[in-house]
Amino acid sequence: MADKRKYVIPGDVITSGPFRPEQNVVLEGNNIIATAVGISEIYDDSVKVIPLTGKYLPKIDDLVIGKVVSHTSLSWELDINSCYIGFLPAQDVFGRDFSTHADELSSKLKTGDLVAARIANFDRTRDPLITISDRDLGKIDDGVLVKISTSKVPRLIGKKGSMIQMIENGTNAAVTIGQNGWVVVSCESAEGLSKAKKAIEMVNEKAHIANLTDLIQDMLDGKDES
Amino acid sequence: MTSVSVIDQLKRTQILELLEQGKRVDGRALDESREISIEINAIPKANGSARVYLGDTEVLCGVKIQPDKPFPDVGDKGMFMCTAELLPLSHPTVETGPPQAPVIELARVVDRGIRESHMVDVSQLVIEKDKSVVGVFADVVVIDYDGNLFDACSYAATAALLTSKTPTWEMVDDQPTVVEGGDKPLPVSTIPVSVTMGKIGNHIVVDPNGDEWDSMDSRITITTDSDGNIVALQKGGSDGFTQDEINQCGELSVKVGAKIREQLKSAQEESQ
Amino acid sequence: MGGRDATMVLLDENGIRCDGRKIDEPRRIMIKAGGLKNADGSAYIEFGDNKILVGVFGPRDVHPKHMSNTDTGILRVRYHMEPFSVGERKRPAPSRREIEISKVIKEALEPAVMLEKFPRTAVDVFIEVLQADGGTRCAALTAASVALADAGIPMRDMVAAIASGKVADTIILDVNNEEDQAGQADMPVGYMPSLKKITLLQLDGVLTPEEYKKCVDVGVKGCEIVYELQKKALHDKYFGNRKD
Repeated sequence: MADKRKYVIPGDVITSGPFRPEQNVVLEGNNIIATAVGISEIYDDSVKVIPLTGKYLPKIDDLVIGKVVSHTSLSWELDINSCYIGFLPAQDVFGRDFSTHADELSSKLKTGDLVAARIANFDRTRDPLITISDRDLGKIDDGVLVKISTSKVPRLIGKKGSMIQMIENGTNAAVTIGQNGWVVVSCESAEGLSKAKKAIEMVNEKAHIANLTDLIQDMLDGKDES
Repeated sequence: MTSVSVIDQLKRTQILELLEQGKRVDGRALDESREISIEINAIPKANGSARVYLGDTEVLCGVKIQPDKPFPDVGDKGMFMCTAELLPLSHPTVETGPPQAPVIELARVVDRGIRESHMVDVSQLVIEKDKSVVGVFADVVVIDYDGNLFDACSYAATAALLTSKTPTWEMVDDQPTVVEGGDKPLPVSTIPVSVTMGKIGNHIVVDPNGDEWDSMDSRITITTDSDGNIVALQKGGSDGFTQDEINQCGELSVKVGAKIREQLKSAQEESQ
Repeated sequence: MGGRDATMVLLDENGIRCDGRKIDEPRRIMIKAGGLKNADGSAYIEFGDNKILVGVFGPRDVHPKHMSNTDTGILRVRYHMEPFSVGERKRPAPSRREIEISKVIKEALEPAVMLEKFPRTAVDVFIEVLQADGGTRCAALTAASVALADAGIPMRDMVAAIASGKVADTIILDVNNEEDQAGQADMPVGYMPSLKKITLLQLDGVLTPEEYKKCVDVGVKGCEIVYELQKKALHDKYFGNRKD
């Protein structure tokens, strides 16, 4: 259980004493100092800060939305809204015995294509390794890309998926949320699409507001003024 | 832009599909420009300045007016120069270093649009013939990019020049010296307005935003003056226009330009 | 620039400076976090008549690759003044002064940023001076620190900056343009307020050893005032100016 949450900026002393520094904090002498703008949390034996800004940091098994920005004869490079470019090897799509042929790669994925993908591997000595070989992954043929802050993704998902389900049910849209803050929305009706987009943008802008869920429900029901 | 931004294919498809229905992603009509917001005197210490927002594109122009030596053969004319620079903080793909061709083109097109309209009468900018003239420098910098820098930069430079105040100089001991209390508006004769149109598939759209700019095949920038004459023009991009399309663009530039001219006129009146 | 008023009084008999300030009074400072749509982080500062905008990108891939570092991310800073920012129009190409200031600001930020977790990347800080009025490097460094925090770049501390100086044999805080031109000393100071370390320090002018210590002290105390405004800027944007 975390207690004593505080708003912090880099350099703020969160606490001192025998705590283990976790994410976005650093030990200086006896003090635990925040290294990011965010909310600090003190646990029994550790301290961390949940950042409110910053790029997506790849984590193994995360679902992300990527955009193909280039390719060689052996792989595609994906923009995944991170400090590093995602690396998708040709074998992932063609299987182990593909032959190097530049044309073949662009027959499956071209520059500008969006994919739902998973982080297969990542350590800081090399670019994150991407895979699209599961059933729910692959090229995205339909929908609109909405970009939100990485830090707002948990709020968009909601407790046990409650927020995103509310949005999907209220609009009949299908929403794929990338942990990297990129979200794809598709819907049969233009109105449903527009409402779903608006709901997602509201979460991005008003995540800190207490009755956000009600505000969004009102908007979906058509009860808001805007 | 100096580098190619990779537009996501879904967006490009969406833009084309909507255009087939006569619509645009942000709800504008095909011949409608975005809301233009002009803030004059943004840099009070300059002789004139204007910050312009065109959608999310933000540019700033500062005008400096100062004595200078005339060009060798043109001792009876002052100097006018308009530059444009893409600041690296405006977009992740902007590189530092000497300007590349697209930015040089931008600067020269904006300069020509104003120069060819004779907005600033350089024959009125002489302090002493062959010895000392007035130099008017309109420097535009792009702060945030969302398409159509040609028009945004042009509006900022025009608004800044329209609202500039110039000192008066006289020669004292062979040196140009400021005359106390001699500040006056910069003498301008017309209000040039540029209108940029992009061609996406077979559709002409006025004031392409960032996504439309990345999707378009070619573009044309046409500048008109207060009399409705066309004074400058630049076609760019890697596709061609039919003659009918060129004529259509000419008409659009006059029509759309007239509306925007009203806004620039209000900014000028506000400053006086 | 042009002719200096040799008879301008920099400090009158009541201890009031040429712009009406007291000797330990900084100019009006306003800092805003964010504002640019495309940059990863940004900040805008007004410090007296200085108007400075900072945009940050990164951590991001380094091109050309040979400039990257396999062990840590690198910090790159570009301080640039617009042609219309100063009295006499400045040519757009980087001057030697801008290049030196870029380096000094980079070295003032490096002790604060923590880029070891981002090898092979770069963090780019782009500083644009829209209007200059003495003390631009301090205002720029102050805004750059806020822009880095806005971008989510890990930092062990903020860096705040202000210039102390000497006019009419008196140590003053926050040197303006006239005082810089006609005064006796100008000392820009950059300071990390939590770690209590000075990361930027330069001096133009003549100080006795006693005046030197006092000048540093006045500068450090001034940085602490500036820091409160950096904190406010970030709190306003991220915490809706609420307390915890």
